[in-house]
Amino acid sequence: MPVTSPAGSSTASVGPSFAADRPLPEGVRDLLFADAAAVRGMAAALRALWGTWSYRELILPTFEYADTLATDVGAQIDAELYRFFDRQGRTLALRPDMTLPTARVVGTRLYDQPMPLRLCYVGSVFRHERPRAGRQHEFIQAGIELIGAPGHAADAEAIALAVASLRALGLPEFRITIGHVGFFHGLSAALALPDRLAGWLRLAVDRRSEAELADLLGQAGTVAATARRALLQLPRLTGPDAVLKEAEELCLNGAMASAVADLQSLSGLLEAYGVAGAVNYDLAEVRDLDYYTGITFEGFAPGLGVSLISGGRYDELIGHFGPEQPAVGWALTLDQVLVARELQGVRQPEPVPDVLLSVTGHPEGLAWASQARARGLRVEVDLAGLKPEDLWRSAQTRGIRRAVWPDGADRLLVREPEGERQAASDAWEEFATWLR
Amino acid sequence: MAPLTIALPKGRLAEAGLACLARAGYALPANGDIGRRLVLDSPDGRLRLVMAKPSDVPVFVEYGAADLGIAGLDVVREAERDLYEPARLPFGHCRLVLAGRQGREERPLRLERSPKVATKFPHLTEAFFRRRGLAPEIIVMSGSVELAPQIGLADLIVDLVQTGTTLRENGLTELHVVLESQAVLVANRASYRLRAVEVREFIDAVVAAG
Repeated sequence: MPVTSPAGSSTASVGPSFAADRPLPEGVRDLLFADAAAVRGMAAALRALWGTWSYRELILPTFEYADTLATDVGAQIDAELYRFFDRQGRTLALRPDMTLPTARVVGTRLYDQPMPLRLCYVGSVFRHERPRAGRQHEFIQAGIELIGAPGHAADAEAIALAVASLRALGLPEFRITIGHVGFFHGLSAALALPDRLAGWLRLAVDRRSEAELADLLGQAGTVAATARRALLQLPRLTGPDAVLKEAEELCLNGAMASAVADLQSLSGLLEAYGVAGAVNYDLAEVRDLDYYTGITFEGFAPGLGVSLISGGRYDELIGHFGPEQPAVGWALTLDQVLVARELQGVRQPEPVPDVLLSVTGHPEGLAWASQARARGLRVEVDLAGLKPEDLWRSAQTRGIRRAVWPDGADRLLVREPEGERQAASDAWEEFATWLR
Repeated sequence: MAPLTIALPKGRLAEAGLACLARAGYALPANGDIGRRLVLDSPDGRLRLVMAKPSDVPVFVEYGAADLGIAGLDVVREAERDLYEPARLPFGHCRLVLAGRQGREERPLRLERSPKVATKFPHLTEAFFRRRGLAPEIIVMSGSVELAPQIGLADLIVDLVQTGTTLRENGLTELHVVLESQAVLVANRASYRLRAVEVREFIDAVVAAG
C-alpha cells in the first residue's frame, strides 16, 4: 500500500497523489478528520439535548422494502428512491428519510405504548435527486418525531426543540419560518378554480410570483373580489407575527380562519418557550402540501441559500402502518448545518494530539501514556524512533504543542515553544493544563 | 447593515436592469466602473451588484451568493432552479419560439417520428415536445442556432426571437410560441425570509419604478 512519508518528501510526480483511476459515484463523499469530528460532535450535542427533553433514540435500518418506503410520500420522493433487489428478486430501497422507517416502527411495534412517544434519530439518508444547491445524494439527517399528541402544545414543543437544537449545534444565527397548509387549502377551496389551473396555482404560489397569480386569475373567469385579493396578497404574508393579523383579515372560510388561529396560539406558546425571536411566519408555504396536515416549517441561516431544517405536522402517515396517530416532527441536515456554521465563522479545528511522546529506549513511557490518556490527554507515540530534535520539529510542523520523552524513572523532558525543561512524571495537575 | 446583493445579467438586459434600479431610487456606481468591474457597491451602500453571465444569475441566487437577481424568464425556466419569482419587469420582452424552414408548417408536427431540434434551451424544448407526446432529438448548441436547418443539422430550432428578422433572413418561419419571456426579478428562498423587510422593500421599489 502506498504511504505518504511523514516528512512529506516531495517526489517529482504529483500524479499518484491525486489519482483519477478510482472514481467515486456521483452524490457521495468522504468526510475527513475535522469534518468528521464536527459531524460526530454535533450528533453528540443533539443526543445530549434531546435526552433532557425526554426523547429516546431509534437506530433504524438503512434499507427496507421499497413498498414500505414509497408509502404515501408523493411522486417526488418515490422518484428519488435508490432501489435494488434482494436475492429473491424483491425490491428494496435505501431510506430517503428517517420519518418513514420511524412511522413503520410506531405503526407496527409501538402502537400500544403510552402516548405520546418522543423519538429521535441520527443517520444517513439517500435520495437520487437532480443536482441542487448544496445537496449530495447521501446526507446526514438528525431529527425528532413527537407522536400521539395533537394540538398546539405538541407543535410548540417540536418547534422550540428545533430552535434549541440549532442553538446546541453552535449555529449563531438562523430563523425558522412557520406556515400552515390549512390556509392554502382553504384559499384554494374559496377560489374554486377549474382543475386545469390547480397545479399552476400551487406552482405560482411556490414561486411567490404575483404576476403569474394575476395571469391565473385572468384565466379563471369569475372569482370573488375577496378571494382575488387574498390570493394576490398571499406572497406578501411572510414576516414576524404581525403577518398573522394581516392573514386574519383575508380569511374567507373556516379552514383559513382555523389555520390562522392555530398559528396565533402557537405563537403565544413559542413566546413562553423563549424562542419567539427565532421564528417568523409564511402563509404561502406550499411545499409537501399532500404530506403535511397542519403546521409546516423550514429553517434558514444567513449565506446558506437553502433550508437546513424542515418539518411539520403529518397526522395521516402513521395510519398507513398501523392505528392512526397524530404526529409532528422535523429533520435537519447536518451537512448543511456544517456549512452554515462555517459561513458564520464557526470552524472545527483539525484534531491534533496534545503531546507527541518518544519512547525510544524508554518503554516506561508507555505506562505514562496510559495514565495521561486516562486523564483525557491526546497522546501520540512516535513509532519512527525520532531523535529529540527531529521529534520536536515533527511536533511543530503538525501543530502539536509539546514533545515529551522519559528522562530517567520518574522524570520527563518536555519541549515546548518556550524551550526545554524537566518535569516530574506525576505532575498531573500541570499536565491537565495541556488539554486543549 | 450589509447591502443586498443583486445579480445582474451582462449583455442584453444589463442596461435596462441598471436603469430600473436607478428609477427605483438606488444610487448606481459610476458609469466607468460598470462593465469594467464584476462586483460593484452602490455609492449609498444599500446594494452590491454582481455582473454575471445571464445563465449564471439563477445559480448565484439559488445558492444565496446573491439575494436577488434580474434575468430573462427564458433563462430562469431553463435553469430549473429553486427560486422565487416575485415580480415581472417591463423590459426584455421576447419570445422563445419553435421555428422551421419556410413551407414546412404544412406538415403537422404531431406526425413527425422524432423531430430533430437544435436549441440553446434543451430543458424547455424537451418539455414542450414531451407535453405533446413527441420524443424530440435535441441538439444542444451554444450559438447561431438558426444555422442548423440550413446545413441539415436539424429540422427545427427553438430559439429566442424579438422581431423575427433573423428568422426570416435565414429562411425560417415561426411555428409555435414555447414561452413568452421578459425580465423577471428572482429571489433566494432564504433571503426572502431572513431579510424579509429589505427584500420586500426592494421588490416594491423596483415594481413601482416599472
